[in-house]
Amino acid sequence: MSRSTKKGPHVDEKLYRKVERQVESGRKVPIKTWARDCTIVPEFVGMTFQVHNGRAFNEVFCTEDMVGHKLGEFSPTRVFRGHTNKKEGLSS
Amino acid sequence: MPRIAGVDIPEKKKILYSLQYIHGIGPKVAADILAKTGIDPNRRASELDDQELSSINSTIDTGFVVEGALRRQVQQDIQRLKDIRCLRGDRHRKGLPVRGQRTRTNARTRKGRKKTVAGKKGVKG
Repeated sequence: MSRSTKKGPHVDEKLYRKVERQVESGRKVPIKTWARDCTIVPEFVGMTFQVHNGRAFNEVFCTEDMVGHKLGEFSPTRVFRGHTNKKEGLSS
Repeated sequence: MPRIAGVDIPEKKKILYSLQYIHGIGPKVAADILAKTGIDPNRRASELDDQELSSINSTIDTGFVVEGALRRQVQQDIQRLKDIRCLRGDRHRKGLPVRGQRTRTNARTRKGRKKTVAGKKGVKG
């Protein structure tokens, strides 16, 4: 079920304020964040975030196409290294 | 044979159902089109005259995306997801279910036919 339109998109407030401050003072450093559930709003376009995936921060550069997606969608939390190969012993 | 929205030529069936042979037209849209043009849904496709067919054609042209255009649109939407390298795009690329379904079992529609692996499921390889 999709989110109620009444509420508008979920945007992490702290992060939003940080973005505003950066826009005011001219763009500069990427913003580290844990707010994976934060929707990318048009104001974020052109900003770079470092989105935590539980282990490390992945750089995410926001483009216009990404508006409406969540930050977490761009920072995968799982690593798939292929299945084990029984014949050659443990993982190949 | 009547010809609607390009190449589609369903006949003999009631027009309500023959319209559904067009990609992008299901029960809902077929009924909507007939209501808009004022054609009785119970009539056979072959019974319609040229004028009625052209009125169906023009309603489809103006209000609905069907066939090639629709397929292209879907393809573009998927391509967009792939291009921005988000999770959903990744799942499309890997041919796995996109909407969070389990993949330990099932998911055969996306993954295709079973590839049996020796040594799995207790059968020592």
